[in-house]
Amino acid sequence: MTWWSVIRFLHVLGAALWVGGQLAVSLILLPLARRLLDAERRAAVLSAVGRRFGLFTVTAFLPLQLVTGVAMAAHKGVTWTSLAQPGYGRILAAKLLLFCAVMLTAGLHGWASGTGRPAAARALATAALVGSLGVVLLATALPGT
Amino acid sequence: MGPVTVTIGKKGDTEPPPPRASWHLRANAIVVAWIALAIAAAVSPGVLPAPRWLVIHVFLLGAVTTAIVIWSEHFAAALLRVGAPERRWSITRLATLNAATVAVLYGVAVGPWPVAAAGAAAVVGVVVWHATVLAGMLKRALPGPFGHVIGWYLAAAGALAVGGALGGLLAAHVGNGPMYERLHAAHAETNLFGWVALTVLGTLFTLWPTVLRARLSPLTRRCSRLALRLAVAGLGLMLPSLLLGLRWVAVAGLAVYLAAAAVALTPLAETLRRRRPHTGAAWTLGAGVAWFGIALITDLVLVAIRTADDLPAALEPLLPLVLAGFAAQVLLGSLMHLLPAVLGGGPARFKQNAALLERGWPYRLAAANLGVPLLSLPVPEPLGLLGWALVLAPAVAFVALAVTALLLARHPQGRVSPAPLGVVVGCLLTAAAVAVAMSGGAGSARLDVVPGAQRTVEVTLAAMRVRPAVVNAPSGARLTLRVTNADAQRHDLRLSTGDRTPMLAPGETAVLKLAPLAGPVEGACTVAGHKAAGMTMRIVPAPAAASAESSYAGHSQHMGHAGMDLSGTAGTGQPSIARPEATALDPGAPMSAGWTPYDATLKPAAGGKEHRVEIRVKETDLEVAPGVRRRMWTFDGSVPGPTLRGRVGDVFVVTFVNDGTIGHGIDFHAGAVAPDGPMRTIDPGQRLTYRFRADRAGAWLYHCSTMPMSLHIANGMYGAVVIDPPDLPTVDREFVLVQGELYLGRPDQDDLGSRILEGRPDGWMFNGTAAGYDHAPLTAEAGERVRIWVVAGGPGTGTAFHVVGVPFDTVYKEGAYLLKRGDPGGAQVLDLAPAQGGFAELVFPEPGHYPFVDHTMPRAEAGAHGLFAVSAP
Ligand SMILES: [Cu+2]
Repeated sequence: MTWWSVIRFLHVLGAALWVGGQLAVSLILLPLARRLLDAERRAAVLSAVGRRFGLFTVTAFLPLQLVTGVAMAAHKGVTWTSLAQPGYGRILAAKLLLFCAVMLTAGLHGWASGTGRPAAARALATAALVGSLGVVLLATALPGT
Repeated sequence: MGPVTVTIGKKGDTEPPPPRASWHLRANAIVVAWIALAIAAAVSPGVLPAPRWLVIHVFLLGAVTTAIVIWSEHFAAALLRVGAPERRWSITRLATLNAATVAVLYGVAVGPWPVAAAGAAAVVGVVVWHATVLAGMLKRALPGPFGHVIGWYLAAAGALAVGGALGGLLAAHVGNGPMYERLHAAHAETNLFGWVALTVLGTLFTLWPTVLRARLSPLTRRCSRLALRLAVAGLGLMLPSLLLGLRWVAVAGLAVYLAAAAVALTPLAETLRRRRPHTGAAWTLGAGVAWFGIALITDLVLVAIRTADDLPAALEPLLPLVLAGFAAQVLLGSLMHLLPAVLGGGPARFKQNAALLERGWPYRLAAANLGVPLLSLPVPEPLGLLGWALVLAPAVAFVALAVTALLLARHPQGRVSPAPLGVVVGCLLTAAAVAVAMSGGAGSARLDVVPGAQRTVEVTLAAMRVRPAVVNAPSGARLTLRVTNADAQRHDLRLSTGDRTPMLAPGETAVLKLAPLAGPVEGACTVAGHKAAGMTMRIVPAPAAASAESSYAGHSQHMGHAGMDLSGTAGTGQPSIARPEATALDPGAPMSAGWTPYDATLKPAAGGKEHRVEIRVKETDLEVAPGVRRRMWTFDGSVPGPTLRGRVGDVFVVTFVNDGTIGHGIDFHAGAVAPDGPMRTIDPGQRLTYRFRADRAGAWLYHCSTMPMSLHIANGMYGAVVIDPPDLPTVDREFVLVQGELYLGRPDQDDLGSRILEGRPDGWMFNGTAAGYDHAPLTAEAGERVRIWVVAGGPGTGTAFHVVGVPFDTVYKEGAYLLKRGDPGGAQVLDLAPAQGGFAELVFPEPGHYPFVDHTMPRAEAGAHGLFAVSAP
């Protein structure tokens, strides 16, 4: 148990909160909202949930993941060149790329739901969710330290 | 009229798609998903332990078998004009089949074998159930013109029941050496030419005219009946003869089957004569059938010229023909024709979907059929890769088009529903990322640096090796070495340039920036003894790389072909894995995919006083150390040969057959006979019967009796006979370990004899593989009593057998107990001179990994090493 385990814990916790939050919203909240609320209230609740989640993402989740992630990479001696090497470097690089794609999709989802494009918003939200599961998959494939 | 009844709801359906279509839609979406998975498995080599096996089974068991179950049921209902079977049972069958498929894939690739075996049993169960349903439909139906097709489906299901059961046995690691190979051959041939091909042939009788929009040939019924009888007879002849190794009977069976195929294809050819194919579906189906014919003839030739025991290896080039040429094209062609009908939505939408699925078909067809020969012929590497690209690209295109069509079908206005689209996009993103992550192999023994400015090389230190051991780099390259100690002890790396890393603790990494490469650089670990143990590396500049290669080849005079044979890729144009030094056996390297250990489990003696066995001399390529294959002279295809077991007084009647290329004999130490007759050398093709009564208990050696015996034994010709002492208590587990020396090179190599005489083996092996049981540990549970029989095969060295962590409480050596259970003393080593044998017993106190070694440490480090993986009870 070192400080590095604490940082690793925070990193994993952040990911769990973010992915878990999305799963909870789409698997539990959304179906219930569709069943229990009329269209107007549903829209209000869902957009409030979306805004709050976006706010959490930008203020807490992203900074936490970036700071802890960069710290761990630096500790492990990851360099820009080593990101291209097969094995650890390339898995990490793929994970980062996928993470960027997921963040982009999530951002576009916020934009689409804000500008009244429900179908596009739903597609983007699902893509972000599936993609973030992929990030978790790649994270578990990284050799442990 | 042509048999338009085959398709569903195609004409004049203006109402929204009926529930049947939506069920078919979902069912076929599964098939498309399996095809996509098969493509993914094909393009991600090395991700999983058994990539090639995985590709084949994801495709044939996932995609093809699912499609067969869906469509044969549908065709049966349509052709017999009976109602479709109850939907929920169809869904149950399909769900069970898919769950079973996942179990088989998981069980073989990663999981415990019982999962795979249970999966195989479930697959067989589903197909038998499916066949019962079809038979029931046939019984209920009025006599009609198409009843003959159902016979093909029933025969196909019967073949799968047998072939799937054989697959289950293979997954359960039943059979060893040649028996395994025969099971394998029978499994493959039965499933491909029984399950897949019989279904396809039966379906084509009606599907082919439908696809061509032509009338059914009047020859159809008569040809179908005759062909089915011939096909069943052919398969019935082929299957047992493959299992028994009766090559010529198998050839006869295949010839009968070939005749059946010719008869079955006659009405199709007749239809073809009247009506040229004009759609992508028709051309693709036709190409698939053509490859079926080619594959069948190739198979016949291969079976005729190869023995049953190396048949699976010989059938390798057949795989692309059958998988990509035949099965894939028939499946895609059929789906191109059938999916538009399933997708529903009225005639306009039908046309739209048909056009969508056939988009660019001439290019797809041309690519696939150019790719198939490239994959099956021994072409140089870039062309082989091109073959893969040509075969996979049309498959990818089909999956993309089919997914689009399936998504569009859900929304009649032509809008794609958002959630599935999101899932598809997310999956594609993830798949792309996984492909990036897994690209590039890790830790190969040699690295070629392409000319370019800078390059960072990942170097790992572990298991007394530096990986990569050889780096070929262009002169002047500026290399950066990122050296990681992946071992449990400290290492460093010092180069002849003077660059060196600090002493690295486990897990630590250091970076060495080298000056532009001017000449060869040698590197080694400076910890005492590690360099001698093989922790060396070389960086070779490119102009010198060629000469290094040739000096290495010169080195091979001493090494023989070992250097080439090591990687198993000689002649395929792939870069071979360089072995830097002659002594560089690498016990830590992974075993090749598909390697199965010699089964060390010793079964109790069979009942009865007389044991009849046949032992054949074979020259077999075996993996004798991780990644190192070598031709061995074997008793029955394995090293050691089969272990015989009996009780005192039992009689063994051994039929000894020489299938090798030079003379051999056999000498059983367990019996008392005048050597003159039974131990004589017999020539290739001859057989002799060796009969002995085992009057005395012990762990006995048997070996080849032909001079020079040292050479014949060193090449693998030895085995064990275990005769139980009277009142031998039963224990929880019994293992047999036969130790032998490992000499690299060919069995007939010039210098092999002198190396044996000088006693300079390259390594030591338990049961024929150096460090094999490090990679496939023997299993036991804590608290269990384990008995380990040990025989020293030699030829020159014995063993000091020791299990790390647990003293023996019982030791039996050469016919007597040295130590008995309950004695206060314990033993640490069972010492055996060459040819001696005995057993030791112990009880593992707690879960963990317990190495077993020849405690003559240099031998342990050169391969006389294995592991017990002891789990909690
Ligand atoms: Cu011999």
